[in-house]
Amino acid sequence: MTKPIPTEQSIRVEHLVKEFGQGENLLRVIDGASFSVAKGELVALIAPSGAGKTTLLMMIGCVEEPTSGKIYLGSEKVYDNKWLTSETRKIRREKIGFIFQAHYLIPFLTVLENVTLLPQTNGISKAQADEKAMELLEYFDIGEKANAMPSELSGGQNQRVAIARALANSPEIILADEPTAALDLSRSVDVVKMLKKIAVDQNVAVIMVTHDDAMLPLCDRILKIENKKVISLTTKEVSHV
Amino acid sequence: MINLAQKDIAHTFGKFIVTAMGVGMLLGIVLIMIGVYRGMIVDAEVLLTDINADLWVVQQGTLGPFAEASRIPEDLKDTLKVVQGIDKTTALTFQNIQLPRNTKPVRVVAVGFNPFGDINPVNPARIIAGRNINKSHYEIVVSEKTTFQLNNKIPLGRNIYRVVGITKGTVSSGGDPLVFISLKDAQELQFSYSNNRIRNDRARGIKNVESHVVNTVIATLKAGYSPDLVAQHIRDAQHKSVYTHQQQRTILVKNLIETAAKQIGLFTAILVGVSTIIIALIIYTMTLEKMKEIAIMKLIGIPNSMIIKMIVQETLLLGLLAFIFGNIFSHLIYSNFPKRVVLEAPDALSLFFVILLASILASFIGVKKVISADPSTAIGG
Repeated sequence: MTKPIPTEQSIRVEHLVKEFGQGENLLRVIDGASFSVAKGELVALIAPSGAGKTTLLMMIGCVEEPTSGKIYLGSEKVYDNKWLTSETRKIRREKIGFIFQAHYLIPFLTVLENVTLLPQTNGISKAQADEKAMELLEYFDIGEKANAMPSELSGGQNQRVAIARALANSPEIILADEPTAALDLSRSVDVVKMLKKIAVDQNVAVIMVTHDDAMLPLCDRILKIENKKVISLTTKEVSHV
Repeated sequence: MINLAQKDIAHTFGKFIVTAMGVGMLLGIVLIMIGVYRGMIVDAEVLLTDINADLWVVQQGTLGPFAEASRIPEDLKDTLKVVQGIDKTTALTFQNIQLPRNTKPVRVVAVGFNPFGDINPVNPARIIAGRNINKSHYEIVVSEKTTFQLNNKIPLGRNIYRVVGITKGTVSSGGDPLVFISLKDAQELQFSYSNNRIRNDRARGIKNVESHVVNTVIATLKAGYSPDLVAQHIRDAQHKSVYTHQQQRTILVKNLIETAAKQIGLFTAILVGVSTIIIALIIYTMTLEKMKEIAIMKLIGIPNSMIIKMIVQETLLLGLLAFIFGNIFSHLIYSNFPKRVVLEAPDALSLFFVILLASILASFIGVKKVISADPSTAIGG
């Protein structure tokens, strides 16, 4: 049974707990995290290394199963102490766009095929998928590279293709795992501004894991994992982070 | 829908083709091995088919003349002519000899026959140059495999023989080239001793060896007579072993080449097994190389079925290409083998289904790897 949430909220997490191991080796990484991210919002997720950023991102992305808690994605409750569907991969395919530290494009597919792979898997016709993909590639100024292989593109161009791929299935949520880690400051700023623009233009919620403090002022809000819980900070509080 | 296998192969086309060629060479060897076995059967039957006798009469209690030594009197051919049902008879000898050829002699099987007899063992269709023997002495018809030319002179025993004819495709059951000489010459070669030996034997009171001996007498039957019944009559009356055409064929195929066939069969089975393991290892390696991409595809939501389809399609295509290359390879090299290699379409078809099955089995290992791939490994921590 799904429970409606306010339309502006794209992600809502309640009392999320994640434990690894058992008995004496039991390790609680996330202990009752609760937060939400609205549509059109770009939120940075920060924490020291090993504090559980990626684990939290994977739980929201329906990759890693939480120990307990609730997760709402869009208008659908997907987790309530257990997955409410056996097809978590379908949720990922239809609702979530992933952006990684490296571009991780499929090397044997062209730029266009990388972007159209997911929509075509979702049953969208090739012509429609190609049209949408070309719009996205043009949006990111790499339309002329549509038929190139990823190996023929620069790192920055590939990252833009990866972002286009993440948007190709019209997701409600974008989860970005340190998308600027491999980029210099100038390009990092470009990517984060791009993510902000996407959040607003496409009306999606974006959670971006980052270690780069310089990117935080560009975000709408900051989620920080502290003492295994998630606290929400405004960008004005960035200097205290 | 994007065909991932097609895209992946196109991306690493050269590597894929070279891999398929490598496996194909292995499959080519498998085909050659089967061809060697088929060749052995064909070789074993060449003389039997060319002579096309209904009955083979040999020394009692032997499987001669191909499987065991057999000695019977030459005049048995005349005795048998009066047996009811017998149409024609002739006496034959078989012996292994070495023909001197430059520095390296060539091993052949010499068939001795009466050029003026009722049955001629030389199949006229096999003569590609010259003619058959038409003199009682010192003429020889050789297989082209001996490399002798018409009118070459070949010293044999005490005499010199002239090549009067060359045949194609005539080999013994063991695969050695066949040569044909007159019965008298053959008897002299096989049963006559040297002058020194004769002198010594005489001094010791030993009589000269009877040279009117042959290895077998063959016979054809008149229409309407049962080979089995006539054979039984000869066994009873003449105290000889008699084999029908089919029995002689069984002796050749089963008794003579059965062990060799089993050996080749075992080699073939091992090679097919090795090919399966190699295909499985290649698919496993190819899958391992794509684990990152597979994890990403699983993470972004690509269903397992689509990824598994890619692995299975690539495996089947590898098997198919390897099979095609194997056939090309085997057809390119089979004529270079010293003994006959017979490549038959049914054998190739059987191998195709074996490789198809092997490819499916091999793809399981890749599929297992895909299913176990953890999508979270795509995300750095």
